[in-house]
Amino acid sequence: MSDGRDARVLRGASRGATRVMGVQRPELVTDGVPSRGARWLEMAMSPDHKDTGRIFIGASLSFLLLGIIAFLLIRLQLVVPENTLIDPVTFNRLLTFGSASLVVLFALPLAIGLYTYLVPLQIGARTLAFPRLGSLALWLYIAGAAILFASFAYTPPETGFNNWPPLSDEIFISNNGPDVWITAIGLSVLGLTLQAINLAVTVSKLRAPGLAWRRLPAFSFSGAVSSWVMMVAGPAMLAALVMLEIDRHFDGVFFNAGEGGAPIFYQHLSWIFFTGCYLVFLLPAFGAISEILPVFSGKPLVSRGAVMASIAAIAPLGLLAWMQNMYSASIPIGWLYMAMGAALLVVIPIGALFVTWLGTLAGGVIRDRAPMVFAVAAISTLSFGLLAELAQSVIPVGWELADTTAATAASGYVLVGGPVLGGLAALYYWFPKMTGRTMGEGLAKPSAALIVLGAHLTFIPMFLAGLEGQPVDVYKYFEPSDAINAAESLDALNLIATIGAFVIALGVILSLVNAYLSVSRGPRAGHDPWGGETLEWFATSPPPPHNFDVVPDVRSDEPLRDIRDAVRRRGAPSPAPAETREPVA
Amino acid sequence: MLALLSPETAHSPNADDLNTLFWVMILIGGVLLIAINIGLLAIVGRFRAARGREPRRLKVRRPAQIGTAGAFAVLAMIAFVLGVIVTENAKQVEASGPDGLQAASVRTAQRSLDLPSGDVAPLEVRACGQQWIWRYEYPDGTYSYYELVVPVDTAVVVELCSTDVVHRWWVPGLGGKFDAVPGESNSTWFKADETGSYDGASYAFSGAAYSAMRTRVTVVEVPTYESWLDEQAAGIQEAQSFVQRVNAEGG
Repeated sequence: MSDGRDARVLRGASRGATRVMGVQRPELVTDGVPSRGARWLEMAMSPDHKDTGRIFIGASLSFLLLGIIAFLLIRLQLVVPENTLIDPVTFNRLLTFGSASLVVLFALPLAIGLYTYLVPLQIGARTLAFPRLGSLALWLYIAGAAILFASFAYTPPETGFNNWPPLSDEIFISNNGPDVWITAIGLSVLGLTLQAINLAVTVSKLRAPGLAWRRLPAFSFSGAVSSWVMMVAGPAMLAALVMLEIDRHFDGVFFNAGEGGAPIFYQHLSWIFFTGCYLVFLLPAFGAISEILPVFSGKPLVSRGAVMASIAAIAPLGLLAWMQNMYSASIPIGWLYMAMGAALLVVIPIGALFVTWLGTLAGGVIRDRAPMVFAVAAISTLSFGLLAELAQSVIPVGWELADTTAATAASGYVLVGGPVLGGLAALYYWFPKMTGRTMGEGLAKPSAALIVLGAHLTFIPMFLAGLEGQPVDVYKYFEPSDAINAAESLDALNLIATIGAFVIALGVILSLVNAYLSVSRGPRAGHDPWGGETLEWFATSPPPPHNFDVVPDVRSDEPLRDIRDAVRRRGAPSPAPAETREPVA
Repeated sequence: MLALLSPETAHSPNADDLNTLFWVMILIGGVLLIAINIGLLAIVGRFRAARGREPRRLKVRRPAQIGTAGAFAVLAMIAFVLGVIVTENAKQVEASGPDGLQAASVRTAQRSLDLPSGDVAPLEVRACGQQWIWRYEYPDGTYSYYELVVPVDTAVVVELCSTDVVHRWWVPGLGGKFDAVPGESNSTWFKADETGSYDGASYAFSGAAYSAMRTRVTVVEVPTYESWLDEQAAGIQEAQSFVQRVNAEGG
């Protein structure tokens, strides 16, 4: 019942009626309509953004687990010098599969999934702009993932995390591994890009009456910005993949240096995409943190304007800095200075965000509930990663640290701080809305503590090993030699890093188990368990298929506070008109 | 602790530039890191929820906002200016020192380096990456695999090339990383200040045996270099004539 046309009718009906709160008006209630088939089948085929979002989130968390398994195997191989546990080709396959799982199958879909579920609720919409496109996007992504996993039955890809030609050309890898990578990443990125378009249109066109851009919740605004980033980064990757496939099987010469093409062209396109991914790691976490901190410290953001402007500024500056990953390439130095300038300018919005967050916490009444614990852990972890990235964004330091484990450590901190801790913070915060139950607090704090501890145990030693010159992506490293610049012994650092990796994994698994158990056993949550200020807390938990019986007029950036105040003035018992299962009429 | 945090000791002027800026950025990053995390811990510890306490709203005025943004802008500007200065310095090839090789070698235009003016040209070698070894070519046509032998205190321009996939040449302590990409010209340089061996490797993922693609730069006195070059040329000559003889005999 929640496809686009019906929703428009509903919205049209309610728009006129909601001028004054509480006036009697006719309303359609679609809750409790008998289902036509098995629940899972209906959910899989449903155009409802909440079903699509839930499958997105569930799938991405499963790929987080699989990516972590690959990461643990990689760390096990590197636990001692010249280890022979895993052979080089298998190692390269794990590396390729693990990084694809963590970036394209976990981090991006988790962000897109959270946005798909929450953005319509936050902006007071009853649906996405294109509900069926959401289903298509979801199943394109799942199909891509399935192809990557199915390849373990024949030829998994082994060409590293960005599948660069000429290595991925047919001359060098004649098996179908790179084709698997192209198809899997291509389908997933196509799905995610389509959903980004969907989300961007939804935020632009379906906002509740009175919900101006400046009043958007920070998370939904970061969703709009992330969608714009995906609309630039996704097609760049898709173009590169199509050209690479033509090169491989249809005598193309796009990336063939001998025939007038250039391998560096693919490098540019793939870095535009991966820089975009990096931003989509960060922006949802920034948005979620900016909503969780005010709710749990009892006071609004010290400067909403600063947060919104920062989130908006990070996207173009970050994308323009894609060449900061290519300081070693033969690119005229002026372009590299441009990339360095853009990368350094990002310091201003990100610095402003950190200052705003600290200012929001200061003077507040801080409740240390699970979402808050994860948000604070994310801020701290992100500060390590982003400052290590800042150091590397200066060309001479980049020349030294790039492609060593020091660079991996920086991205690892960002991955753990953004999609993992930030993503879990968002999950803990909105889980009651999605399931009607709160996630257990007992497992939450140990989980956050283990993830933060594990991140430091893993990434500090990796950073130090990188300073000694340990290359990234190698399946083994060597004992110190007699050379003047010989690395100090790296085995202690690698041993600690491996232990740390297991600690991170344990922490993540605790939270995933917690989520699994809480779906059926968590304490029941009302429609607004945290005292939130945004519109999604106006709907029931979980919301009915059409989200809202009544879409309220928004008059400030804290619509739920206005509603609470209005209700208090009237002396009515409950601010949520949809609390009962009775038609509101 | 500082020893753990330090990059490889510089043995070339450009590596020295890189390390200087590394310390500047570590200092800036370290100060900000400590400030953010201490601030976070202190605030979270200080403002835990307690009975009867009301949240205190912080008034933010525009000058404070502009000041904060301005402070970060100044930081970014300083890092940018230092970055450009040090990059330009590191690209500036120094003239060979008094102990170095004085003979001028072939001098070709270098796209990404500024060559020194004067009579003494730097020694120019080609480093060609191939799966999974580095091949070095010297001005007289001699070549070697895995090990690059160069005279001490001599500016050596390394021209990078690749015969197959993307490789990345780096010897810690002798400058930065540079790509060897088929069809692209790229180069770096170094002037080693001490004789001995320097380990390096390829830092771009290049397939199955990528880990094994290591290299070594052996820095020797000028006379040793010259005699090594003759020996290597004679060895290559001998090997080639042996192959020709075997081919001729075998038909």
